[in-house]
Amino acid sequence: MVIADPLSMDTRSSVPTPRPTMGTSSLATAGDSSAPASEILIDIEHLDFFYGASQALHDITLQVEAKKATALIGPSGCGKSTLLRCLNRMNDLIDGTRIGRGTIKIRDVEINGRDIDVIELRKRVGMVFQKSNPFPKSIYENITYGLRLQGVKTKAQLDEVVERSLRAAALWDEVKDRLHASGLGLSGGQQQRLCIARAIAVEPEIILMDEPCSALDPIATAKVEELIHELKTNFTIVIVTHNMQQAARCSDRTAFFYMGRLVEYAETRTIFMNPGNPQTEAYVSGRFG
Amino acid sequence: MASSSTPTTISFLSRKNRFRLFGLTLDDCIRTFFGGNALISVVVLALITFFLFKEGAHFFAQNDRNLRIYRQAGLEYVDFIRTQSDDHTALTRSLSDLRVRTLNELTQKQNRPLAEANAALAGFDAFAGQFSDAVDPLRSLVSDLTEQATEIKTKFIVAGDKQEERNQLLAAGKTAEAGRVQIAVINFQEELKPLLATLPAYREANQAFATQLKAVMATAPTLPTPELQGRMDKFKAHTRDYLATFPAVEHKLETWDYLKPVPFWQAFTAFIFGREWLTASFWQDWYGVIPLFVGSLMVSLVALLLAVPLGVGAAIYVNQIASLGEQRFIKPCIEFISAIPSVVLGFFGIAVLGQALRALSQFTWLSWVPGFPFSERLNILTAGCLLALLAVPTIFTLAEDALNNVPRAFKEASFALGANRLQTIIQIIVPASLSGIISAILLGLGRVIGETMVVLLCAGNRIAIPDFTAGLGVVTQPVHTMTGIIAQEMGEVVRGSIHYRALFMVGLVLFFLSLGINYLAQRIVRRYRLSIG
Ligand SMILES: Nc1ncnc2c1ncn2[C@@H]1O[C@H](COP(=O)(O)OP(=O)(O)O)[C@@H](O)[C@H]1O
Ligand SMILES: [Mg+2]
Repeated sequence: MVIADPLSMDTRSSVPTPRPTMGTSSLATAGDSSAPASEILIDIEHLDFFYGASQALHDITLQVEAKKATALIGPSGCGKSTLLRCLNRMNDLIDGTRIGRGTIKIRDVEINGRDIDVIELRKRVGMVFQKSNPFPKSIYENITYGLRLQGVKTKAQLDEVVERSLRAAALWDEVKDRLHASGLGLSGGQQQRLCIARAIAVEPEIILMDEPCSALDPIATAKVEELIHELKTNFTIVIVTHNMQQAARCSDRTAFFYMGRLVEYAETRTIFMNPGNPQTEAYVSGRFG
Repeated sequence: MASSSTPTTISFLSRKNRFRLFGLTLDDCIRTFFGGNALISVVVLALITFFLFKEGAHFFAQNDRNLRIYRQAGLEYVDFIRTQSDDHTALTRSLSDLRVRTLNELTQKQNRPLAEANAALAGFDAFAGQFSDAVDPLRSLVSDLTEQATEIKTKFIVAGDKQEERNQLLAAGKTAEAGRVQIAVINFQEELKPLLATLPAYREANQAFATQLKAVMATAPTLPTPELQGRMDKFKAHTRDYLATFPAVEHKLETWDYLKPVPFWQAFTAFIFGREWLTASFWQDWYGVIPLFVGSLMVSLVALLLAVPLGVGAAIYVNQIASLGEQRFIKPCIEFISAIPSVVLGFFGIAVLGQALRALSQFTWLSWVPGFPFSERLNILTAGCLLALLAVPTIFTLAEDALNNVPRAFKEASFALGANRLQTIIQIIVPASLSGIISAILLGLGRVIGETMVVLLCAGNRIAIPDFTAGLGVVTQPVHTMTGIIAQEMGEVVRGSIHYRALFMVGLVLFFLSLGINYLAQRIVRRYRLSIG
C-alpha cells in the first residue's frame, strides 16, 4: 500500500520513445537495439546477489521495457531464476539471501527499499513457476485466491474475473463446465495455463515466468507460447527459458547470462542472428550449455 | 563348431558358484529373514488378540451366572425398594445444598451474623429434618430384606463352592472324598418365601411414607430471594414426580418373578452399558465399563484440548515460521518430552501440578472458573494436563511431518499472489495438510487413551461417572480409567474369577478402541496422500 501511488500508471517518469520499425533491415542495424525502444518498466543497476556467502549474481545491469516479452537465457545455474525472483522479492523466503549492491527499480521505485510493502509488490509482479503448482483446491478457488486475499467477496465480481482470466489464459473453453472440480485434475499443460490465469486474475503489471514450459509436451508448449504472445498486449513479461527456439519465438529482447553475469542483452533477433559476444554465439548455436 | 558353442554360452551364464545355506540361495535367505520378521509381528498380534478374546469370552458366561443369582436370590427385588429409598436420599441432599445457598445469601449478601442466619433457618431445618426422617420405615425394611437376600445368596455361593470342590476332587481321582462333600440344594422358591411375604409390610410402610411426605411438603418454607424460591419450587416439583413413581414400584414388586429368565445378551449389555463398576461388594458385583470408559474419555478429551493447539501450533511455527536455529532447538526439545518416563510425570502430577492447580482454584478471584474451587487435587484436569504433555510430541512430530509434505511450490505460489504468512498458513498450508494433521491428532488420542501410569497416579481413581450437571466444572472431579483399573486390580484378582475376566474385557475394549483410532488415522493419511498427488 505504501508504494501504491509511485507504482501506479499516473506517475510514469520515463518518456515513451517511438518503437523502431521492425523491418528485415533491422538485422543490420543491431547497434540501435541498445537504445531504449520504449518505456522502461524495470531498471536493474549493478546488482550483486548472494546466497549466504556465495555470490549468484554479479553486477547485473538490465532494463526491461513495458508491454514486451524479455527472455533470460543461459546455461543451468547461471542465475536466471535468481534474477527473476529478485523482481518480486521471492528470494526473501530463502534464509540468508541478500543483495550486496545495486538497485532494482520498478517505475522508478526501489523495490528493496525499507518502506516497500512486499505484498503490494507481489500483487503488481505476478509469477508463474517452472513446475505447475495449482493449489489443491477447485479451479474457481485457484483463480479467486488472490482476489479474495484482497478482500473481494462479491460473487458476480469473482465470476467475472474467473471467466476473464481463464479466457485470457486460453483455458475457458476447456474448463468452463467444471470450474468447481479440483485444479489438480487438469493435464500438465492445462495446469500451467491455470497458473497463468491465476497470476493474471490479480491484474499485475508484470508477469515473471520461470521456464513455464519445461515440463510440458510440445503441443501444450505451443499453446502457452501463443498465450505469451497475446499477453504481451496487456502485460510486461519476463520469461526464463532453456529453449532457444522459444526465446526466439516469443520474446522481443533477450538477455544472455553466464556464471552469474549478464553477457549480452539486445533485441532477440540480434542475439540469435548477430550476437556481439563469442560466448553468446557459442551458446545460441548450441555449442555449449 | 555349432555343438561346442552352446555349452560355452551356458557356462558363461552360470559360472558363478552360488552360495547356499540349508539348500537356500542367498536370495532366499534374505527373503526368509525379512519375511520372518514380518511374520513374527503378525503372529504375535494374532496371539494377543486370540488370548484377549479367549479370556474375555469366559466373562459372559460368568456374568450371566452373576446376573441370574442376582435375580434368583431376590437381590433384584430388594434393590427396587433400595432405589426408591436412594432417590429420596438424593432429594434430601439437594435440600441441604439449598440450605447452604440460603445461608450464603443471608450471611454474605445480606451481611447477617452467622448465629442470626442460622436462627432464621430454623423453620427450614425443621422441614428438612421431617423430610429426611419420612423415609425411616422404608429404610428399616430395606435393611431387613438386605439381610435375608444376602443369606440366600451366600447359601447359593457356598453350594457353588462345594460343587467346585467336589469337581476338583473327582478330577484328582479322589472319589471317596468327593462323595463326602455335602452340597446343599437351594430351593429358591422356599428361600424367597419370607422375603416375598414382606410385601404387605412394604405397602404399609410405603403408604405411611407417602402420607408423611405429602404432609411435610405442605409445610415447606418460603425462601428469601426469587432465585432461591425458584430452586425450592423445583425441589417441590421433583418431590411430586418422585411420589408419582410409587405405584410403579409397588407394581414392579408385585409382578416380580424370580423365575423370569435373564436374557443371554444381558451379560453383554450389562458390561457395555453398565453404569456401575462394583467389585468385592457384600451385596452385588457389577461390571459395567461405562464409568471407566467415560473416565478415560474425559481425561483424553481434556488432554487433547490442551495438546492439539500446543502440538499443532508448535508444528506450524517450526515448519513455517521458525529460523533454522530455532528449528534445531525446538524440535529436539519437544521430542525429548516423550523420553520422560510416565511414572515420573505422574509423580510430578501428584507432588506439584495437582497441588498447584488446587491452590490456584482456591483464589477467590478465580471462582468464576467452572468447577473452581475444588478440593480433590487428583482429578480429570490434573491427569489431562499431564497426558497433554505426553501427546504433544506425538502430535507435534506427525503434524510437522504432514506440514513438511506440503509442496513448497504451494507456499511460493501463495506468496507470489500477494498473500502474507498468516494467510498462506491458514488458507493453503493447513488445508493441504489437514488430513495429516487430523491423523496426527488421532494418533495422539491413541497415545493418550493407552497411557496408564499417569492416569493411575493422577486421575483420582474414583469409580463413578462424573457428574455432568456440573457443566465444564466436571473436569475437576476424580475418575477412574480403563487402563488404570487394569493396572490397579489385575494384581489382586483371583485368576479365572469373574473379576479377572472382566478386566480382560476392559482390555479388549481398549484394544478395539486403539485399533479403531489407528485404522481411522491410517485411512485419513492415505486419502491425504492421494489428494496431494
Ligand atoms: N536456495 C539456494 N541456496 C543456495 N544457492 C542457490 C539457491 N538457489 C540457487 N542457488 C545457486 O545460485 C546459482 C544460480 O541459480 P539459479 O538462479 O537457480 O540458476 P538458473 O535458474 O539459471 O538455472 C546456482 O549456482 C545455484 O547453485
Ligand atoms: Mg532456474
